[in-house]
Amino acid sequence: MSSVTRTSISKRRTLGYIGLSALGACIGLLFLLPLWWTFVNSLRAGGDTFRFLDPLQWETFFTLTPSLDNYAALLSSDLGLATWNSIFVSTVTVIIGLAICSMAAFALAAIPFKGSGVVFIVVVVSFLIPFDAIAIPLADLFRDWNLQNTYTGLILPGLGNGMAIFLLRTFFLAIPQDLVEAGRLDGLGWWGIFRRIYLPLSVPSLIGAGLTLFLFQWQSYVWPLLNGTDAQHILGPIALSNLQGQFNVDYGVMFAGSIVLTVIPLAIIIGFQRYFIQSVTTTGLK
Amino acid sequence: MSPSQLRDRPPTAEGQAPTGRPARRRRPPSTIVVAFAFLAPALISLVVLRIAPAAVALSESLFRESFLRGGTVFVGLENYADLFGNADFNNALLVTLVFSAIVNPLQIGVSFLLAVLYTRRAAGSKIWRSLVVLPIAVPPAVSAVVWSVIYRPDGLGNSFLALLGLPEQPFLSSPQQSLASIMVLLSWIGVGYWMLFLIAGINDVPTELYEAASIDGASAWRKLWSVTFPLVRRPLAFVLVADTVSNFLIFAPVQILTKGGPSGSTNLLMYDIYTRAYTLGDLNKAQAEVIILVLLTLVVVAVQFRLLRSSDNA
Repeated sequence: MSSVTRTSISKRRTLGYIGLSALGACIGLLFLLPLWWTFVNSLRAGGDTFRFLDPLQWETFFTLTPSLDNYAALLSSDLGLATWNSIFVSTVTVIIGLAICSMAAFALAAIPFKGSGVVFIVVVVSFLIPFDAIAIPLADLFRDWNLQNTYTGLILPGLGNGMAIFLLRTFFLAIPQDLVEAGRLDGLGWWGIFRRIYLPLSVPSLIGAGLTLFLFQWQSYVWPLLNGTDAQHILGPIALSNLQGQFNVDYGVMFAGSIVLTVIPLAIIIGFQRYFIQSVTTTGLK
Repeated sequence: MSPSQLRDRPPTAEGQAPTGRPARRRRPPSTIVVAFAFLAPALISLVVLRIAPAAVALSESLFRESFLRGGTVFVGLENYADLFGNADFNNALLVTLVFSAIVNPLQIGVSFLLAVLYTRRAAGSKIWRSLVVLPIAVPPAVSAVVWSVIYRPDGLGNSFLALLGLPEQPFLSSPQQSLASIMVLLSWIGVGYWMLFLIAGINDVPTELYEAASIDGASAWRKLWSVTFPLVRRPLAFVLVADTVSNFLIFAPVQILTKGGPSGSTNLLMYDIYTRAYTLGDLNKAQAEVIILVLLTLVVVAVQFRLLRSSDNA
């Protein structure tokens, strides 16, 4: 290769590098923009939301006088209570859901029994029926069972999660059978094997499944709208959308609520980033 | 392996099969009992909370409330026939199909291109990538609320258009733009999520393949089309199916922003079911519509899997 073509290639490479970096940066910032604008507006009075929009200026996206008044107002509003409800419902879902799903995954992966194929099909079928689609008939059943406007009613549908079972089963299948044999020799029963061998080895996939359960509950909208809208049991997203529908909206408080409802799952995803990506790739690549 | 299972084995399999266990030890429960004890909570919740409501919807969709006799009467498939003769339902079905036909290729195409962009060597690639992923934490309802302000006539959307010298747009209040506006806010939270799967797939492509293609003098586009694309087909297939299903179930933005309007232009099936059940109070027809939606989802998933399988064999 002559030196002339080599310099032209390396020049093209540098240009390409700069071009790709600039393009990547622009797209990234564009995606950040709506959230950033929401954040900045949550730091100023509701009346100022539309003040800096015509024309666009640096103050549209920055404020020199940030205040936490909107967040303070949030604490005493219905949205504050609704956010606590969301946290409570999601936490309980993760704890009980993980127990239920990991036990099922263990039975499917480790215990050889007749009919495990059939059970697995039931799991897959229930997973193929989209929950939101059957939310209306389920809400009808829950009305008959007096579960409407109760925490139990909000939590129950989030517990058995086909995706989480599938995820955990995939991981459990990779645990070597030798360990089970060794556990048996030490006198462990099935419960002991599950509790002492499988669970401790599966912390990463348990975190991944926990995230799946958490996000299902945190992001749900149809179900809490159908099953829990009284003042005591209302969840964050419903309370926020009620606020938006009001005639006289305080945009500052609304944006503060939006930020809180976003930052909580965001912090959890970032904190468990590694496991989140891992669970994403496991489900995607099967 | 449990002792009870070993007992089933012919004793010749091993020299000393444990048939002669000390009789005083309590016989452990058979594996099938243990297995179902582990499975029971999950199975009960899946059967009662997923499969039973679908069955209820199916059976109720075959009945109709009777004012003459009180209670309900069996009407066979009449509810379905009525739905397909109903202009609002047909419009909702059409809107849903048009919406799916546009939003799915759009989201997957954009996430694929972004995945390619962010796996190239470039300054700050990881940082910019995480900014694209950031909105996946935003719940759909929150996204709808935030964009309701962006789409206001005096909102951020029109300020941007003004910056580019473009005229003010009505966005959500125009029948021509409302569905597209909803697609934009959904893609904002969706694209980064699907991109994660595709990035994982692209990172699995061995770099030697690219080097080999470079030596053969392949252009960047050619490499993208002939090397990357075929090798990420598996994650792409998953994304295609999962994205299609999730887009059939869009509800929050419609309910929060447009209520299906203006003039039915955003009346997606999920919202049509909701209004039919609660605003119109026709629960039996709403159940029939639930069944249609579930079947539609299952058919699309099955067709896509079939197509992908046959292209795998080719």
